[in-house]
Amino acid sequence: MSDIPAKRALPSKESGLFKELLTLYETRQLKKGLKTADQILKKFPEHGETMCMKGLVYTHMGRREEGIELVRKGVRNDLTSHICWHVYGLIHKGEKNYEEALKCYTQALRFDKENLNILRDAAHLQTQLRIYDGLVETRYTLLKTRPNLRQHWVALAVAYHLNGNLTEAKKILEQYELALKNVPDYDVEHSETILYHVRLLEDLGEHTEALSMLDVNAKSRAIVDRTAIMEIRARLLSKLGSEEAEHAWRVLVEHNPECYDYYRGYLANSKLSFDTSDDNASRALPILEEFSTQLPRATAPRRLSLSIASGERFKQLIEPYILSGLKKGIPSLFSDIKSLYQDTFKQQAIEEVSTKALETFKSSSEPDVEPTSYLWTLYFLAQHHSYLGRHAQALQFLDDAISHTPTLPELHMLRGRVLKRAGDPLGAARCLEDARLLDGQDRFLNTKSAKYRLRAGMVEEASALFGLFTKKDAPSPGQDLEDMQSLFYLTEEADAHNRNGHLGPALKKYIAVSKVFDEVEDDQYDFHGYSLRKFNMNIYLNLLTWEDRLRSHPAYVKAALAASKIFVAVNDDPALASTATTSGQLTDAQKKAKKKAKKAAQKVQEEAKKTAPTNNNEDKGLEAPAKDDDPDGSKLLQCSDPLERAAKLLKPLMTLADSNIDVWLAIYDVSSRRKKYLQAAKALSQAATLDSEHPQLHVRRIQFRQLVSSLPPETQGAALLSEIASRLLPDQVSIEVFNSQYLQSHSEDSAAVLAVANVLVALKSPLDQVEETLFTAFNASLDIKTALAIVDFLMTIKSPRADSFRMRCSEQFSLSTVFQTPEELAPLRLLVVAGQQLDADGDKPVDL
Amino acid sequence: MHTTSIRQMRMEDLQGMQACNLFNLPENYTLRYYLYHALTWPSLSYVAEARNLIYWQDHKGRIVGYILAKMDEETPEGGEPHGHVTSISVLRSYRRLGIAKKLMLQSQFGLFEFIPPIIPPTHMSKAMASVYRASCVSLHVRKSNRAALSLYRDTLGFSVQDVEKKYYADGEDAYSMRLSLQV
Repeated sequence: MSDIPAKRALPSKESGLFKELLTLYETRQLKKGLKTADQILKKFPEHGETMCMKGLVYTHMGRREEGIELVRKGVRNDLTSHICWHVYGLIHKGEKNYEEALKCYTQALRFDKENLNILRDAAHLQTQLRIYDGLVETRYTLLKTRPNLRQHWVALAVAYHLNGNLTEAKKILEQYELALKNVPDYDVEHSETILYHVRLLEDLGEHTEALSMLDVNAKSRAIVDRTAIMEIRARLLSKLGSEEAEHAWRVLVEHNPECYDYYRGYLANSKLSFDTSDDNASRALPILEEFSTQLPRATAPRRLSLSIASGERFKQLIEPYILSGLKKGIPSLFSDIKSLYQDTFKQQAIEEVSTKALETFKSSSEPDVEPTSYLWTLYFLAQHHSYLGRHAQALQFLDDAISHTPTLPELHMLRGRVLKRAGDPLGAARCLEDARLLDGQDRFLNTKSAKYRLRAGMVEEASALFGLFTKKDAPSPGQDLEDMQSLFYLTEEADAHNRNGHLGPALKKYIAVSKVFDEVEDDQYDFHGYSLRKFNMNIYLNLLTWEDRLRSHPAYVKAALAASKIFVAVNDDPALASTATTSGQLTDAQKKAKKKAKKAAQKVQEEAKKTAPTNNNEDKGLEAPAKDDDPDGSKLLQCSDPLERAAKLLKPLMTLADSNIDVWLAIYDVSSRRKKYLQAAKALSQAATLDSEHPQLHVRRIQFRQLVSSLPPETQGAALLSEIASRLLPDQVSIEVFNSQYLQSHSEDSAAVLAVANVLVALKSPLDQVEETLFTAFNASLDIKTALAIVDFLMTIKSPRADSFRMRCSEQFSLSTVFQTPEELAPLRLLVVAGQQLDADGDKPVDL
Repeated sequence: MHTTSIRQMRMEDLQGMQACNLFNLPENYTLRYYLYHALTWPSLSYVAEARNLIYWQDHKGRIVGYILAKMDEETPEGGEPHGHVTSISVLRSYRRLGIAKKLMLQSQFGLFEFIPPIIPPTHMSKAMASVYRASCVSLHVRKSNRAALSLYRDTLGFSVQDVEKKYYADGEDAYSMRLSLQV
């Protein structure tokens, strides 16, 4: 005890009080803890450890700022106390600041090397931060300190594993198993440990050893997970090239005849695949057909055969497949087989079969043909034609179907989808509302209808629908969906705001998507301890691998790209940030709805306050409560560092979505503006390796040439930058020539035409030349999306011909409404929410 | 005659399961709850995945149905442990394929495996078959959800055990249903 510094030592009464304080905190008796701390501080106001504990108690009681301040002071007063550093670490951890937390724990461990709690927390932080060499050391110390705790052994093995040292992991596991005594029967923990051992052996390439360990322990029933046994066994036997492998895969297929992976494994074992090549098909088809016969109720082998077969064999197989689906009225029949459409032969065969079926069903008086078969065939044919862009034909089939059975929601949903594809989002939203009204209890129909409203730009109206199924006590439907981490809702609403030009709310929702991924990343923290306690090492290792690639999720990629675009736009034109928030552009109805929502939110909060004390939980936890002082994203839009924020969002995509050209183009846009020229150059080179003729790359090649030639010669890496620039666009070619050459070779691609016009404007070419160029975009490749982009572009450059372009689009896409003016669209918008539908003449609304 | 792949849940399916749940049902959970199931009972949850067969390697499938299942943690002293279905649903556009039933059966196979013997090990050899079927699986369903009720009762063989008053957040009652796994 002699080495306790004088300023820390307390007389016996206070020392007892301090111990009491620790217990009170552990049991979360916060008020009593606070009193006890104050008793000590009355006599020793500078006692660091007590100050820290009091600060910690404060933080738990919701007095965050005071608490944290007190902890800081406490640490300063006693820099060699492990308690002070531990508390400081807890505070950082509560704020999800794992780096700082780990620093504190490391300090704490300097003064108390074998403190189990601190070591354990440090291990969790090291795992969270993927500092695996440090983790091995910590886990080793833990095992040395408490070797009798079983989980310390597997935890060290897992640490070695994560650090890439599989051999050492295996050794630790072997030692552990030797020491193991009295394992009860059917012990899930032991079963998982052996499976982990087998996995290690497999990863080490020791397949024979892995197999014999698996077999021995499967036989003795030490491994209780039979599905795992079967799967690993088949895989190992295949790797070993064993004759038994085929049988092992067959066992799996029989165990679950709907699992594609098992068929794939079976075929791969004979060096076969789902490939359509003749060589593969001639050998794989008989196998699948045998399975079809042997497992008459399984549908997977029949469907797989369709992918592999070709020619006449395909025709023989597809006919019963489609007919059976139509007779059963399976709504997803079309989406099941549409991937076959890549092959035009198959596409035609399907059209023939289904057209013939329609005739048969229409006139059939056979007792086994139900009238619904005819209906589902109409539905199928409508999908078929819509998929091939034949919108009018699709609508014709749907008209027949709806007059046959007006109450089937699927028909109205499909009608909506056809109209959406044809460029009529408002009409589409109206159809989806028709579908929804047929079954108000179905959340699927509700969600779809709300989604279509968002697609039509009707954000408030969508929210009203979402609200029919979200929690009634949530501040708003959107808030509930955000709390439930609905990536679908967040991206759709963000896109809707974005299309409406409301950049603030759009950005806000894109960032909310990114926050969901932050949450999921944080979620893993608790499992670093939990999974090892439960001995679920196998799934835990999968968790870590998955978390490492978390942001490759399409919703993150999409949100990061869109948010980065907005950040770049406000960087280039800060005026956007002051005009693009909602307030100035709200219609009266929207304002009313907003006011109402605000009032409801207030009420909910008041009610929550009222009920709060009855929760009788004084512990508010250590995590910082989320506050939202920027509901419409206007502060976000006006932030001082838009480019840095964009760069941060894009960074994970450099490794997780590196085959996506849009990622590299976005990185270029951000880096070039941040004056990170080398990074910008590398991004463009990457983009060029992915798709060297991409229209957006064309625009940036030219920007980059201009950028590099404008740099002062003393710029760092100037020589390298010029070299890369000339590789992207040869020095001897002028920009004008390069641009017109590009147009020549891509004159049939409307997106390329738009890119060329972009460059022309940047080169300050005459307006009529830009317009002439853009009007050449009316060719076969022109789709609605590009056409809209061109209209927007013409408006931006204040072209007087914008209207004429727009009207020509309206003619070309005859069913579309997106090219109409807001005035023309207003009455159509009203129809969406009116629950009304135009009758056949198209002018008189009728009540449903 | 139509198919989606039915297989054990993997980590990369969890967000798809969550999305499927949010699309279909009013009872929703944050991803943390899915993680908790996945990391505690990894072999009990299954998914139905629709995927493009031509680009097998490049394309991730879409989760069109799932079953999220667990073991009840509080087993009364001497009582039999039993399984519980936390959530099961199939997207409306993938109904009539028997997916829910297939998911349920695969999950139940997992349940058998993890039910420890209630008979002393010395009597094990003969009792093996009955050992695995020694318990039951339970779930809750909204009183008003007729479609689900009929699936559980008529297709899957569950029976109504009890009515739990105001089980759901909005005040609706739940049927507590049960299926015996004994032969």
